[in-house]
Amino acid sequence: MKTVLHLIKKDYILFWHDKPAVSLTFIVPIFLIFLFGSIFGGSGNGPAGIDIAFMNQSNSKIAAKLESVLDTTKAFHLVRDFRNDNGKMVPFDTNSIKDYIRKGNAVAAFIIPQDAFTDTSTGLRLKFFYDPKNAMEMQMIEGVLTQRIMTQMPSLFMTGMQHKAETFLGTGKGLAFNRKIALTVSKYFNVDTARILHWSTYNFADSSNIDSAASKSNFFSNLLQLDKEQLVGKDVNNPDATRSVGGWAMMFLLFTLTATSTSLFDENKSGVVLRILSAPVSRVHILWGKYLYNFSLGFIQLLVMFFSGFIIFRIDIFSNFFNLLLVIIAGALACTAFGMLLAAVSKTSSQANGLGTLLILTMSAIGGAWFPTFILPPFIQILSKFTLVYWAMNGFMDVLWRGSNTIELLPGIGVLIGIAAVVNVFSIIRFKKGNLF
Amino acid sequence: MISIKNVTKKFPSVTALDNISIDIKEKDFFGLLGPNGAGKSTLMSLLIGYQDADEGDLVIANEKITLGNLEARKNIGLVPQSIALYDDISALENLEIFGSFYGIKKNLLRAIIAENLNRVGLYDRRKDKVKEFSGGMKRRLNIAASLLHNPQILLCDEPTVGVDPQSRNAIFDYLEKLNEEGKTIVYTTHYMEEAERLCNRIAIIDHGKIIAAGSLDELLLLLPYEQTILISKNHLTEHKKDLFGKFGTLMNDQEKYELKPNDRLKLSEFFKTMEDNGIGYNFIDVHKPSLEALFLHLTGRRLRD
Repeated sequence: MKTVLHLIKKDYILFWHDKPAVSLTFIVPIFLIFLFGSIFGGSGNGPAGIDIAFMNQSNSKIAAKLESVLDTTKAFHLVRDFRNDNGKMVPFDTNSIKDYIRKGNAVAAFIIPQDAFTDTSTGLRLKFFYDPKNAMEMQMIEGVLTQRIMTQMPSLFMTGMQHKAETFLGTGKGLAFNRKIALTVSKYFNVDTARILHWSTYNFADSSNIDSAASKSNFFSNLLQLDKEQLVGKDVNNPDATRSVGGWAMMFLLFTLTATSTSLFDENKSGVVLRILSAPVSRVHILWGKYLYNFSLGFIQLLVMFFSGFIIFRIDIFSNFFNLLLVIIAGALACTAFGMLLAAVSKTSSQANGLGTLLILTMSAIGGAWFPTFILPPFIQILSKFTLVYWAMNGFMDVLWRGSNTIELLPGIGVLIGIAAVVNVFSIIRFKKGNLF
Repeated sequence: MISIKNVTKKFPSVTALDNISIDIKEKDFFGLLGPNGAGKSTLMSLLIGYQDADEGDLVIANEKITLGNLEARKNIGLVPQSIALYDDISALENLEIFGSFYGIKKNLLRAIIAENLNRVGLYDRRKDKVKEFSGGMKRRLNIAASLLHNPQILLCDEPTVGVDPQSRNAIFDYLEKLNEEGKTIVYTTHYMEEAERLCNRIAIIDHGKIIAAGSLDELLLLLPYEQTILISKNHLTEHKKDLFGKFGTLMNDQEKYELKPNDRLKLSEFFKTMEDNGIGYNFIDVHKPSLEALFLHLTGRRLRD
């Protein structure tokens, strides 16, 4: 038994000295547990602050009440105006609010139309423009919208239900029905009949504009009518595959480029770098060689993944191919810079691989590769914008889903190239100061 | 061929080379000996331009060696201490990769590779992955990879570490042949018998300084002789016996004199005195001292880190 204990102790000593293994055993799982816990329960309280473009065209009290309800809904952040071409903030109109969605500034727009709710309405009508670039997000928005209206505006539905009853019973019968109810309540509870009738806000006698189409359909579904219009991605062949291909491609690219960058450590250890440096080759040559190799490998890997997506899932990569290439190049540059950074800040190959795994999983999780960022806690949503996965995924979505043109893509591409430039400068400084080779 | 003048290289915690100067002639087989941490590897790294010296000059074949002078490296072939090869690809692919850095045209490079593989006896295994090779085969390929550009100078950093005697001898034969063909070889090793066999000139380096340099015989003469020297007793030696007293304590035997040398005895001086006085080597019985004895004498027996 003693021998076994000694062997166990030996393994613990070796494990403790292998910092990447320790980090992968404890730190990575703890972080991921925290992240998933925040999303699916635990410390999180559901989505918050999803930007929703909003326009209220109605003057009715119901519309005002609805606006107030949506305004106080934690999941939504209502955006009522936008910056026009002259740089001025102006309120939305029907065209500008659609453009706002098409350009990807928000995933959905609520419009309370002038006729959202009239005295004769059987339900509340809303216009809903949307960009289902993320199916989960759309379902969540619709669900929250319905739940908030149902729970926060019961009187609205009381009125709607009475109107519906009148539709089925007819005007005279509706009034008679109300009177009979009032008499019965008066008889048993000793309440004035007139007061009971006054309580009812609905005037059965004034119901000339009944929506005959709505009256024929399901009662509850008509309580909230969303006039939905998908503005983006209608022609996308395989929405689910199109949505996910960019994120997964980026994650695996990061793993690939981490491995190839950290191979510098192995080459140095084996003496190959020394042999190469004894030839007419400088350190700058070696770094450029490694950087361009990684970049070209990354470029090829992304191309192959998108081609596979085309062959297997019929993802349309050719209708906006030039712009797809631009994003692939920017993504590959940023991922290559990330790999070189790992090599620059680490002392050993295993340290670089451990750190790389931690950062890749973190960036993929909070950058949107695994699930949409809107379900993350607000502070993590802010952090996600500092990850290259986030910007690369946005770029791929803009190209494949939105069909964005080069000008529209420039900001995102600029961020990726900017990340690559900053990281590269930092890596070069570290390479100069360090003793990698 | 190689001129090292007043070279100093300091690191934050240690002065690795302290104002050293060595001249290595064309076709020399020059041994560089020293204990661990003596400065051998630093000197090698300066000779290939891996780093710059803080002071002094290194010139190889009239080209000053610096970090930025890449052209000068074309004169040098390095056989690293470790087996600096890619394990997962074939011997041929390895040589193609390393040869490509010298701007040799593809067809010519192929011919050179074939010739070098033949010379190290690996041509038939050229398509095998290096990881399938024995230690000795890897060492031979390690040398072949350093010769593709036909350098004038070959720097060998302990090229026989961990190989069996057969492979070591094969490597020695190959290096000797290269030297005969005109290559200047600088060879670092811990194995004294290697230096004794291969090197016509040797430098011993310790604490960043050259503490001895010269041919093997010249170096051995620096060794104070600590063992008894036997001198035949005859009319000539009897007549000159007072001379012996200068070199140590003389004890008289019936058939010979036994000289216990004092600490200051240098064999070179002793033999010169004997020669000047007409006492031939045939009257003197000394065991030839070893390079290892000299090495330990000069560098001490204290363990090094």
